[in-house]
Amino acid sequence: MNKNLLKIYETDASQLKGKALDVVIPKTILEVRNIVAKSRRIVPRGGGTGLAGGCVPQNGVDLVLDLSKLDIIGSYDKERRTIEVGAGVILDELQAYLMLYRLEFPVKPASHAIATIGGMIATDAVGSRAVKYGKTSNWVKWVEIVDGYGNLHRKGVTELSDYSGMEGITGVIVKACLKLAPIRKRSASLVKVENFDEVVAIVHKLKRDSSVSMVELLGKQVSEMLGLFEPDESGEVKSAYHLIIEYEDDSGMLNGKEYAELFEMRDKIGPMLSGGGYSRLEDPKILLDKSDKLVSWFEEHGIPFFGHIGVGIFHPRFDHDQEKYIPEMIKLVKKLNGQISGEHGIGILKRKFVEINDQKILRNVKKRTDPENKFNVGKVI
Amino acid sequence: MILLNVLRVIMVKNKITEAGRPADSRQVAGAKIEADNLMEEASEVFDSCIKCGMCKSLCPVFKVLKEEQVSPRGKAIILSDKIMDKILFECTFCKGCERNCPLDIKICDGVKKAREAMVLRGKGLKSNEEMMENIRKYGTPFGKGDKKDLEKLYCC
Repeated sequence: MNKNLLKIYETDASQLKGKALDVVIPKTILEVRNIVAKSRRIVPRGGGTGLAGGCVPQNGVDLVLDLSKLDIIGSYDKERRTIEVGAGVILDELQAYLMLYRLEFPVKPASHAIATIGGMIATDAVGSRAVKYGKTSNWVKWVEIVDGYGNLHRKGVTELSDYSGMEGITGVIVKACLKLAPIRKRSASLVKVENFDEVVAIVHKLKRDSSVSMVELLGKQVSEMLGLFEPDESGEVKSAYHLIIEYEDDSGMLNGKEYAELFEMRDKIGPMLSGGGYSRLEDPKILLDKSDKLVSWFEEHGIPFFGHIGVGIFHPRFDHDQEKYIPEMIKLVKKLNGQISGEHGIGILKRKFVEINDQKILRNVKKRTDPENKFNVGKVI
Repeated sequence: MILLNVLRVIMVKNKITEAGRPADSRQVAGAKIEADNLMEEASEVFDSCIKCGMCKSLCPVFKVLKEEQVSPRGKAIILSDKIMDKILFECTFCKGCERNCPLDIKICDGVKKAREAMVLRGKGLKSNEEMMENIRKYGTPFGKGDKKDLEKLYCC
């Protein structure tokens, strides 16, 4: 590829910059196999929406394998309610196709308009409906992967964990069979809550309600940035948290256009904060009952946050000056028995925070699945 | 504006000015300065770009080609580094990208400015230059054709 254009593939939504040896855009699985067999270092790339630098090539030795052209939507199995798709299929394009059958792939990350299925499996994307539908891997029947020698393998549910959530360090995902769910009629509500204890109590209650498919929290700062504060009867403006609750029936206050506008706003929160200088995003996961300590810490340090509170994932946003607080936050998350990354993965950004025991486990998996040490070297471990 | 610039470049390249006199070096230098300024302006358009990629979702060129380099994000990345490349001509100016940009970046304006700069620097597309030549010489973008062909052309 033209050297000027290589720059385009040397970064992603994390805004980290790397250096690529070259870029190839295969159109078929056979081409992927040939390229992998002949190359020394491979960095698989999907939609480039990762926030931890998972597909950023390094040191000018990595060949970027852009899988966007493996975008064939294959056969739909009506009886099993599954569909076979190429790794480069974009989630929203798949959803548009599935409308024909009144079905959908229920996992919905905020980047659903551009995220590819391969990338979603590789990072085991969670998204906002996790409270009801869980992770991407819960909805994958099998994956086809290309190993370091260029051989194609089909891996079922029992071996899926070697590839889903491994951020491309164990092989190249080229095809997958996805389980589908029927499309539900959805409505939503935007609820204002003044204190965090109340937020926890409401979320606990909502989690027991089977009609609830999403519970999102907007911190006080984020609510203010979105202009959600309105003066009360006395004309006083009080800061408050906001909960976005999605129901799979008519229980919500917002339907149709208003519902769509609410989620359009929700999807733009991350980029809006990045544009406001809060460019560093973290994704700690913590038990709901312990989250008050973390929230107090965010507020103490003036860090805006939002998150999928239904599953305990928070998205604090740090500006350049606040980045020094990240190790302190990770220490606090570990102290509260939380996870340092709930959904974005480790990539390059969080490598140094991975526990030694976890590193050992990951190294063993890497050694077993990629003995040639070819895939996404320098990421995760 | 782009068409005028194309004409200007063709003239400068052929050392002919609008008045039919040979172009002097000051005019060539002037075009270079103008091109540099336009590239600077194009680059500034993308100062606030966070590379989130949301612009890709409504881009018809990306939807068809499925190559990151033709996506609005791809163009933003090279324009941030003031790189002139032919991929900048692979845009329909439909503004779909701008509709989905969370930071309301005027992506098409940036690409348009960069195209103008490329034309001024003589890095435009040959096919565009040919089209301009044809319009000047024959009054149609298709060049010297049979008069009967022209009769077949009709508007909706």
